[in-house]
Amino acid sequence: MSAVNSASTKDGKQPGFWKKGSNVPGSDDRMKVQQKKDMAKGIKKDSFHDFEHKTSDAWDDGDDDLLVMANIQMSLKDVRTTAKAVLDNHSHMTAIPSATSSHGAGPGVGIRLNSGWKPPKTTPIRLTKEPVPDREAAKLEKFKSVLAGPNTDLDELRKLSWSGIPKAVRPTAWKILSGYLPASVDRREPTLQRKRNEYFGFIEQYYETRHEDMHQETFRQILKDIPRMTSLAHLFQQKVVQEIFERILFIWAIRHPASGYVQGINDLVTPFFVVFLSEYIDNAPLNDHIQEQHVEYLQFAFRWMNNLLMREIPLRCTIRLWDTYQSELNGFADFHLYLCAAFLVRFSKDIQREKDFQGILMLLQNLPTHHWQNDEIGELLAEAFKLKYMFADAPNHLSKKK
Amino acid sequence: MAAGPYNYSYIFKYIIIGDMGVGKSCLLHQFTEKKFMADCPHTIGVEFGTRIIEVSGQKIKLQIWDTAGQERFRAVTRSYYRGAAGALMVYDITRRSTYNHLSSWLTDARNLTNPNTVIFLIGNKSDLEAQRDVTYEEAKQFADENECSAKTGDNVEDAFLDTAKKIYQNIQDGSLDLNAAESGVQHKPATPRNPLNTDQTPSKEGCAC
Repeated sequence: MSAVNSASTKDGKQPGFWKKGSNVPGSDDRMKVQQKKDMAKGIKKDSFHDFEHKTSDAWDDGDDDLLVMANIQMSLKDVRTTAKAVLDNHSHMTAIPSATSSHGAGPGVGIRLNSGWKPPKTTPIRLTKEPVPDREAAKLEKFKSVLAGPNTDLDELRKLSWSGIPKAVRPTAWKILSGYLPASVDRREPTLQRKRNEYFGFIEQYYETRHEDMHQETFRQILKDIPRMTSLAHLFQQKVVQEIFERILFIWAIRHPASGYVQGINDLVTPFFVVFLSEYIDNAPLNDHIQEQHVEYLQFAFRWMNNLLMREIPLRCTIRLWDTYQSELNGFADFHLYLCAAFLVRFSKDIQREKDFQGILMLLQNLPTHHWQNDEIGELLAEAFKLKYMFADAPNHLSKKK
Repeated sequence: MAAGPYNYSYIFKYIIIGDMGVGKSCLLHQFTEKKFMADCPHTIGVEFGTRIIEVSGQKIKLQIWDTAGQERFRAVTRSYYRGAAGALMVYDITRRSTYNHLSSWLTDARNLTNPNTVIFLIGNKSDLEAQRDVTYEEAKQFADENECSAKTGDNVEDAFLDTAKKIYQNIQDGSLDLNAAESGVQHKPATPRNPLNTDQTPSKEGCAC
């Protein structure tokens, strides 16, 4: 968001993109002011009317039905399913749209609803090749070691990240690259805790003022814009997601008065939201499915623990696994747990495709791993490492809930 | 009738118990796959198998838990007794010790299942007549039993089917309450029509073997 920041600090002082706007660009105040000016000058009437005509749908009361729709409560399961679908969808995008057709709608780009206008088909300038498994695995390993610390080398991380970050480590990498988390592994958890508390403090301090005269215009605009973010339309119909965005955008606007809320900032939140959400989203629908069918973890995971997955994977893979287990601190005792979690998630889609108890259990007893090689184990290890990192210093997750 | 997921009227839960090496997993494999599994690895904790059978014209899905025989796994396997409609208690006719341990298995089965659970005794490895260590007559005094061979498949079907018939009979005469928790039986409508009319003339003793 640094681009927005630098532009907004110059607001009103230098000629530039924002100079014609009011203090709160993007609000309808700005439109009204512009309208008054134009009326007074009696010029450019046609072009203004054209503009108004083209954009009137954005201010239409008719949009309120979107708000009504958005208030429909949906179950947490729907939220998760939708979120997962969105994430999957994003992760499967391989086409990179041409740079010249920047007005096309793409992932993360909000377009206006109710306009008859359809984005032109973008021409892919190239397709990303299918990732070469061992190269991907090697890349993950590199990220792993850089992120592991004790201090992450930021230059090295930037260098690695420039050509793309593997999905498994992206949330962590982004937090460090954006300066949200420190390079020191030891300081990350306390920093995260502090920042979270800080944010909850902001909510108390600022969010409560959203209906006050001074801020209600901003807040109303945010409320209008969020349901229009079609890139994640289904997700944004979830009240809980809307509220997250409302808070983020409102608090950001209040704390950056020079720019305030500018339409478009809402879109910029989306990548962060999707990436950080991905840390939490993979397991939940799987766990729901397993529980709905009354499958207990003991029924399949006992053997995973007792035999260290030797019954589930070929011996050559076990041997590769043990390379890492013996290099990890408490590899067999602790790291294996994360590996089992990663192993389960690896078959998430297959398990969710099985619609009943016996289907799930038969699958879990006969997982298709006969062809597995080091690459599959490399991916599992990277995923396990991510889990280990994610739950580091949070021993409560190891205790049974309820 | 299309083969759908509900193409059966009941689910019966079974558990197979007995000393290690008596052939519990091989029995299950012979029953579900109709094949003898040589070099069967020992069971860790529990394993699961399933097959649909027919008793008195009713399709019944058997959900079978095959348990580890080793004493060390008892803590895990004991949790599977609860909610079993049938318990197949297996010994090896060529090893007397596995027969001698039956009383301990029976105690567990009695204590951990519900009163209506059908406990069925099976003497496995009947193909090894030359090495027999326990006579049929002796075992018969202990309980009604079925001798079978997981290797040849001889009588294996009967062991599973006879247990199912007994459970079904208990349902028909009302001694097994389907609504009771842990009955080990679930009733599923086989077809959308006529889902509840199950007490129609069970006189025809169908035998699927």
